[in-house]
Amino acid sequence: MLKMLWAMLGGSLVSVEIFFLTLVISVPLALPIAFGRMSRNKWIKVPVNFYILVMRGTPLILQIIFVYFAPYYLFHASYDRFTAVIVAFAVNYAAYFAEIYRGGIESIAKGQYEAAKVLGLTKSDTFFRIVLPQVAKRILPASANEVITLVKDTALAQTIGVAELFRVAQNASARQFSTLPIFVAGAFYFVMNWVVSSFFSRLEKKLAYYS
Amino acid sequence: MKRLICAALCLAAFSAAVFAADTSLKAVQDKGKLVLGLDDSFPPMGYRNDDNEIVGYDIDLAKEATKRLGVQLVLQPIDWNAKEQELNTKKIDCIWNGFTITEDREKAMSFTKPYLKNAQVVVVKKDSGYTSLASLKGKKVGLQAGSSAADALASAKDFRASLKDVIEFKDNLTALMDLEAKGVDAVVMDLIVANDNIKRSGKPYVVLGESLAPENYGVGFRKGDLALRDAVQATLEAMAKDGTIAKISTKWFGQDISVVGK
Amino acid sequence: MEILKVENLAKSYGELKVLKDISFSVHKGEVLAILGPSGSGKSTLLRAITHLETAQAGTIEICGQKVLDAGTYADKATLREALLKLGLVFQDFNLFPHFSVLRNVTEAQERVLRRGRIESANIARALLAKMGLEDKVEAYPCELSGGQKQRVSIARALALNPEILFFDEPTSALDPELTGEILKVLRSLAADKMTMVIVTHEMAFARDVADRAIFMDGGTIVEEGPAKELIDSPKNERTQAFLRRFSEGNSLS
Repeated sequence: MLKMLWAMLGGSLVSVEIFFLTLVISVPLALPIAFGRMSRNKWIKVPVNFYILVMRGTPLILQIIFVYFAPYYLFHASYDRFTAVIVAFAVNYAAYFAEIYRGGIESIAKGQYEAAKVLGLTKSDTFFRIVLPQVAKRILPASANEVITLVKDTALAQTIGVAELFRVAQNASARQFSTLPIFVAGAFYFVMNWVVSSFFSRLEKKLAYYS
Repeated sequence: MKRLICAALCLAAFSAAVFAADTSLKAVQDKGKLVLGLDDSFPPMGYRNDDNEIVGYDIDLAKEATKRLGVQLVLQPIDWNAKEQELNTKKIDCIWNGFTITEDREKAMSFTKPYLKNAQVVVVKKDSGYTSLASLKGKKVGLQAGSSAADALASAKDFRASLKDVIEFKDNLTALMDLEAKGVDAVVMDLIVANDNIKRSGKPYVVLGESLAPENYGVGFRKGDLALRDAVQATLEAMAKDGTIAKISTKWFGQDISVVGK
Repeated sequence: MEILKVENLAKSYGELKVLKDISFSVHKGEVLAILGPSGSGKSTLLRAITHLETAQAGTIEICGQKVLDAGTYADKATLREALLKLGLVFQDFNLFPHFSVLRNVTEAQERVLRRGRIESANIARALLAKMGLEDKVEAYPCELSGGQKQRVSIARALALNPEILFFDEPTSALDPELTGEILKVLRSLAADKMTMVIVTHEMAFARDVADRAIFMDGGTIVEEGPAKELIDSPKNERTQAFLRRFSEGNSLS
């Protein structure tokens, strides 16, 4: 039993690694993508829109397989599984976050921009000090959803042989002829998401100082 | 004279092409490792033990073979459905995992000679009352997706036609879980795996006397990697001759059931 | 000295002409009231001068510096320098909700004028005290009444020491009982000789506090003159018609 838990801990470390690396890349990456989506230049807007459509319109599991195997068929290039997983996840989640950012940014009243302009604030100051902090508060619920989904999506990494938590649980099940490891894995995911939910809850409370 | 030179050049080019094409063995030796792709939940051929290490009959064979070839063995768990992709894109060098030799697979890759005999059998619950293939008429059958069980079932046309439904699972364990939960009435799988499963789990499963098709296990390589395949084949035959394989087989099956060199 | 000079200003939205040949000027220390029905272009005029919108033709001069010269805008640097001399108070306040009252007033001081944190805070506190908001300094806009928010808004604009302050219907979004406090602030600013341009419907206030008034209708200046004179005895028929509606107690705009 202990050995199984130990193995699952190792698997969950891989899941957590995927989780953090994906967020670290996709959360900032989504901002320029959101701008691209809102751009008036159609040479930027159209391709970005298409990319977002594809990312949100096709299953992540399919994207993982594509990102991993396609380079070989196209360019005879190959790279390791874990990198492929991170690339697929980051590129996919960036699209979702970009749409969340866009919704938040577009919900900011024009008056905020005008007040900032009239006060002489630069475009950069206006965005980062006036608009973005307000956007951050508005997109918290939607962002929390995405992050929770990400914790569970990490299970898809096993499609290209990355030994994350769920795979380890399945192997343990195969070995012991019982479904107990699966339920233990469920408990691990639950705990991870409980941490995530608490974090967002605290964040929402912290930003509730104004409405 | 001109024709002679031409012929010589052609021969040289041809040989160069032939030998240049098959650098498979050299590539592995240069790399210093052979990457073995497997479904790591396939006991007793390749699976994870309590210490989460990958062990199994195939693993022991591969360890010894690579030792003799002077390269390191790298075990790479993969998704069984993607095995052809993994092999063709050179993420793995071979598939060695209770891998059944079938006509379709032989078209797509190069196999060693058979090293173990197997059969596709039907597993049912002891108290289910099913005793033959005919008794499963109108029933539901489960199997692992992408496995030779699927092929065997497809070939057994009459049996297949008599079934209500065929349900594909990610792996054998999930199929067997469904058998226990009565989601399916029978599971088609490898005899060797079924026996190991029944022995170790002690669950009330029974293998029907009527099997679907006899099969052979082989090691699969990329279509053009003949040099590599031949080297592994030669090593296995040497291992059979000096009794190493008999020892490994006895460890896993209680007796020498290997067919290498026989 | 002329703080603001506008000559032949024109603006259209596509085919629609919203400002047609507007010319007027504002001297230092003067309070100019802009009156007129809705759709007359009063707000657009303010927004065009403060560069929230662009005009297609005309000249705008701020403290002698041309920001718009016969339809051509000056370069970015000149524009920026000149526009810093303007302040604008919005009808809807447009305070920054995620900043405290104090920070709303210090932010631009620090980021635009590059004043130190302590200096900015001192100036902010003094202005807010003048507005009667010294005990609301750490509060957030969502906790304030409309009148309080507008006062913060005025303090925020004043903190940058503008040469001229524009007010776009500063009391229109407030409940009637709160307009008084704003008008009081404006009176005190006028007494301090702050140059102001106020778009308003508060006729009594305009008559009392403004030095001069302009009546706009359909994108043009119909009449202009000393505030008391224009409001008490308008010469133009349209002006008369408009003002009559107010004396009849009608709050139509």
